[in-house]
Amino acid sequence: MSRDTQQRIETYLSRLRQRLRGVNDQDAREIVEELRSHIMDKAASSGKVAGDSAGEASGELTPAAVDAALAGLGSPEELASQYITDDLLAQAEVSRSPVRILKSLFRWASLSVAGFFVLLGSIGGYFFGAVFVLVAVAKLFHPRTAGLWVFPNASGDLEMSFRLGFGSTPAGGRDVLGWWIVPIGWLAGWGLVMLTTYIALWFVRQYRKSLVLPQG
Amino acid sequence: MKRDDARDLETGDRWEVQLRKGCLELAILAALWDGRLYGLEILRRLESDSDLIVSEGTVYPLLSRLKALGLVQSEWVESDAGHPRKYYALTSAGRQRVRQMAGMWTRFSSSMSCLLAPLAKGK
Repeated sequence: MSRDTQQRIETYLSRLRQRLRGVNDQDAREIVEELRSHIMDKAASSGKVAGDSAGEASGELTPAAVDAALAGLGSPEELASQYITDDLLAQAEVSRSPVRILKSLFRWASLSVAGFFVLLGSIGGYFFGAVFVLVAVAKLFHPRTAGLWVFPNASGDLEMSFRLGFGSTPAGGRDVLGWWIVPIGWLAGWGLVMLTTYIALWFVRQYRKSLVLPQG
Repeated sequence: MKRDDARDLETGDRWEVQLRKGCLELAILAALWDGRLYGLEILRRLESDSDLIVSEGTVYPLLSRLKALGLVQSEWVESDAGHPRKYYALTSAGRQRVRQMAGMWTRFSSSMSCLLAPLAKGK
């Protein structure tokens, strides 16, 4: 293999490797090596088809054959994108971590409207789940001011809000749940986080099953 | 070509692309039925045994996904070409899955054939 053809291959694979950030190191190495093997086989078989004047297979990797093999794979950015999307979704399914789930949903949201709405719903679910838990914990440190409060607003209507205990209690307000906010907030909060995780993962699985790869 | 004809042709082409995409997983699993193959061999089998001409940029991520789903397994094998090749083979789950998919495909194509029979007679 000439230095020029080797350089073309390595440049392509280097761009691909850079784009595979976030994919597990070993998986990324395997992807690169598999594609290297493919490029060399494909380019070599093009050389055999071209042959030399005596009709013997030369198998030499010509720049044109290498370029054709690389073109067949598509741009390294697009190729990496397909691997990354699937890797993120797979990680989310395995780890069930809200952070990984949200990362994979961000990725999905960048690709489809459905993903965007699932992401919004999940952010809402995790946010309110976190609020419940935080208020339950805050009650232990600020028993008189933290909790679920109902109070009249400026126009005289009743307003409800979670308070973490900072500042003074709202004038004319009432702590609706008292100490019950601790067990209720804890259970409701974690329940909401688990429900959001379950629903988000269900959508992620449906999306993975329906994933149609762009080329071909 | 008139604008309507061009639009019809484009719609038909897009439908065909979607149809081919939907079959790709079944095609790859079926290609592995008789034994292990590496990526380029799978591509060549698809081209020679079916009408499916698939871009390499599609097949390799799909193989990776099939492996993650436990339907295929892979191993690196040293080749005469001087570089190792990654061979894929069906797992038992993969064999079960391709049988299921083949059954669904057979039933589906049979029902479509019945539906399309009048069109053939009407030629």
